[in-house]
Amino acid sequence: MRKWQQKITKKQILFFLILFISFIGSLLFVNLNHSLYDRPIAKVINSTEVERNEITDQYDNVDYQITEELTAELLNGGENKGTLLTIINEYTESEAINHHFETGDEIFLSIDINQQTGEVEDVKRDKFVVFALWIFILVLIAVGKKQGVYSFISLAVNALILSVALDIYLYNSDYSLLVISGISVVIFTILSLLMVNGRNEKTYAAIIATLLGTLSSLIIAYLALHMTGEQGLRYEEMSLSTRNPQIIFMAGLLIGALGAVMDVAITMSSSLFELYEKNNQIDLKKLKQSGLEIGKDIMGTMTNIIFFAYVSGSIPMMLIYMKNDLPLGNTLTLNLSIELARALAGGIGIVLTIPIAIYISIFFIKRKRV
Amino acid sequence: MNVLVLLSIILFVLMTLIGGKKGVKTFIALFLNFGVLLITILIMNDPNASPPVLLTLIACVIISMITLFFIHEVNSKMLVAFFSTIATTLLLLFLILIITERSMIQGFGPEESDGLYIFSLSISLDFVEIATSVIIMSTIGAILDTAVAISSPMKEIHIQNPTINRKDLFKAGMTIGRDILGTSTNTLFFAFFGGYLGLLIWLKDLDYSVGEMINAKVFSAELIAILIANTGIALVIPIAAAMSAYYYVLKQTKEK
Repeated sequence: MRKWQQKITKKQILFFLILFISFIGSLLFVNLNHSLYDRPIAKVINSTEVERNEITDQYDNVDYQITEELTAELLNGGENKGTLLTIINEYTESEAINHHFETGDEIFLSIDINQQTGEVEDVKRDKFVVFALWIFILVLIAVGKKQGVYSFISLAVNALILSVALDIYLYNSDYSLLVISGISVVIFTILSLLMVNGRNEKTYAAIIATLLGTLSSLIIAYLALHMTGEQGLRYEEMSLSTRNPQIIFMAGLLIGALGAVMDVAITMSSSLFELYEKNNQIDLKKLKQSGLEIGKDIMGTMTNIIFFAYVSGSIPMMLIYMKNDLPLGNTLTLNLSIELARALAGGIGIVLTIPIAIYISIFFIKRKRV
Repeated sequence: MNVLVLLSIILFVLMTLIGGKKGVKTFIALFLNFGVLLITILIMNDPNASPPVLLTLIACVIISMITLFFIHEVNSKMLVAFFSTIATTLLLLFLILIITERSMIQGFGPEESDGLYIFSLSISLDFVEIATSVIIMSTIGAILDTAVAISSPMKEIHIQNPTINRKDLFKAGMTIGRDILGTSTNTLFFAFFGGYLGLLIWLKDLDYSVGEMINAKVFSAELIAILIANTGIALVIPIAAAMSAYYYVLKQTKEK
């Protein structure tokens, strides 16, 4: 214990102090920021169920339609602050769109102040987002210490770049989203890999392998789409946006597989360089063989990562389709075709990156030898 | 020809060329995992089925078994990875359930309901549980990957230093874990963002202010999912390191 105490430097104390202050500060902020919102916010102080009806829809799904009476105290709105409102709230027990509220919940309302009543519009979620953010930061720092802090900074920087890139796209629609994503991908790759591994040949090899791997998976995906005339792809479920779904699909493909491809590239180049450093005279053929062995081991789990990250999001919508008695074939193609295509193309990128990373690492190693 | 069929064929050929026999197995495993996911959804659809969260847990156990034991083999590295994945998933499950329940991010936001009016939504499904299942399912691949990335090299360290004690072995595992933390969180982060790209563009098109955005269900649900999923990756590191240290040393003393 004493040894541990001695290790704490002034810098660390400062760091934890800042961390602690921002932790407390942000939690206080999201719990007291009601007056900053234009929309009326109220806190539920009592909730009574007034009616509960069993309802059966045309597909024989049984659910409950519930009406509750809420008493809520207005938390903003200047002089009206503190007004007690009586609100009628209706929801189904499934809670797919409307929610049940309990004492303590904070909700956005549209209000009629004279009648002292209002209607529920949305839930105040900012404090939960901040709460989840802090859980993530604290776990990351507890586990990763210094590297945890770096990981967080790197994620935050990436999120910022992504947001800026999207803004550039939205305000200058004459630039293609693909070009913008392409440029962002180059920036992401260079920044992330340099931050994780520092400036050395293994990082350079990984950067080149990542870019080539991503590019080739994009080309293969594009050719496959072109050759088949996009047969089997259904963009309908993506149509939230008014923008061209094909372009968004390709850009999503580019960015989505990037993390996995970077991971493969850096794993491959690090291990090959390590093998070389352990034995400078190692035969290149042998090096290639070892590289392939490592590649085989990581291929499965890496393709799994993007597969599940993509496909799982379709679960709620698929359930709704099935509960509404839509044919299984339609349910699958409408909800899964896009995600599956993305996962498959990403998988192609991951697998291709393995030999690409091997050849590029060997190229760098050869140069080092000469 | 169907795009999906063509892409599957390309992936299969590449996996076979590069991975040989293991590549074929990897492709089959991917296919089987997809099957497990579909069957889970089909069972969830049955009104008398077990709660979605329980079904998801069972699905995760099967998916982990396919990914670890089928592609590789049943050995101490994979067993440790398996149990640390399950332990992390269980831990994460409670965290997600609590946050989803309180923040009400399940189901669909008002922005999405325009496209939903043709459907009946009174369908006796607990959407809090469904939302929890989605987050768990989307993270399982990444948790598995990190667990193996810890348990495998720790085994190597233990083989090369058979006299190492649990504490030092655990420390070595944590060092490995810290090195991969950055790339692992990055991998999942980009995978999520690639999927949400359409949604993000659409939200930006709606001209939401920061305050509206962060409280909107569609956005906060995705953000919370990313944060919890990445928390899961960080959590599996000490769990896998501790389990590896405990099990490898235990096995060694038993063998003596």
